[in-house]
Amino acid sequence: MNDDYLWDKTGEPDPQIQKLEEILGTLRYEPKPLEIPESLPLPQRRNYFPWIAIAASLLLAILAAGIWLSTRSRGETPPQQASVAPLGSPEEKTPPATDRKTPEPKPDFHEGLLVVHKPRRKSSTPALSKQEREEALIAKEQLMLALRVTTEKLSLIHKKTQNTNPANQIKNQHRAG
Amino acid sequence: MKSLFQINFKTPFLTMLLIMTSVLVAKAQDSRIQMASLDHLASKASQTVDVNIDERLMKMAAKLFSDRDADEREVKKLIVGLKGIYVKSFEFETDGQFVAADLEPIRTQLRGTGWTKMVNVTSKKEGSVEVYLQFIGENVNGLAVLVTDDKELTVVNIVGPVNLDKLAELEGQLGIPELGIESSKTKKKNNEQ
Repeated sequence: MNDDYLWDKTGEPDPQIQKLEEILGTLRYEPKPLEIPESLPLPQRRNYFPWIAIAASLLLAILAAGIWLSTRSRGETPPQQASVAPLGSPEEKTPPATDRKTPEPKPDFHEGLLVVHKPRRKSSTPALSKQEREEALIAKEQLMLALRVTTEKLSLIHKKTQNTNPANQIKNQHRAG
Repeated sequence: MKSLFQINFKTPFLTMLLIMTSVLVAKAQDSRIQMASLDHLASKASQTVDVNIDERLMKMAAKLFSDRDADEREVKKLIVGLKGIYVKSFEFETDGQFVAADLEPIRTQLRGTGWTKMVNVTSKKEGSVEVYLQFIGENVNGLAVLVTDDKELTVVNIVGPVNLDKLAELEGQLGIPELGIESSKTKKKNNEQ
């Protein structure tokens, strides 16, 4: 049997091969675009854009809140554990006890510098740096001034309302006897 | 186009709107009053008191109040939880140094949400006094006092949960004048007697 027909289509073809060629020839490659039937349902792509947008909005809001909180709390004093008595407190006014059993602070000469170790005094108020304490003292004075003005004005209002309300006048007269 | 907007932008737009609304509501609940509109009166005044204590300064000042001293302890109790005290007071040598319009920006703020005018006494001779309270539920969240006279203008703003009973208890202490205000407890006692 001559196999040339199978290689280069020369020579005498085998009838069985010819029959196979006819059957399989219907599936031969044809240069035309793929046609998808309209009846075939297309898989729908899920739209994630709204969810991404929501997530981005929330992230922005959280970020903005974080920045706002950090800028707000930047000035606040961090919690401190050490304690120092404030200026003007009763503890400071008391003179240092001479008959205490605690040893006197010993001078320590360290690399030419005189370092005196003082025993720490216990206090109920948390420690403030010198600058913070000055600021706190000013704030305290201002606070007292504000409270004085407030109570003064409330007192004035109280007097005015008592004067204008005849029912109160009767009450007061009754109390006076 | 409409459907595209509805699909893509409606939900995030509503979310942003919700966030913005909640921010605005939170801001509306703040009982801080802006008093900068009165600053120009300082140049005309013979005496000015300007106190601005925010929450940070309030906490710092609170540390300096001794727990051993009864008076200071009372003040400390009063200021715990407060977020600020702001006072502007002007005294003038002559009449007519300020007009009602100067107070209008402050009154506009006090007409806002949450504020209730508790006291309003107006007198041609003695000027006027107004007391406003801001409530959150049943709790007082802020106090504002406006006092005007021919030669005086005072605005007080306390931000935070003000305890009026404790404020009344301060009378006569630390140089604070007596108010003559009876606290609810003493009122009850009087009524029982």
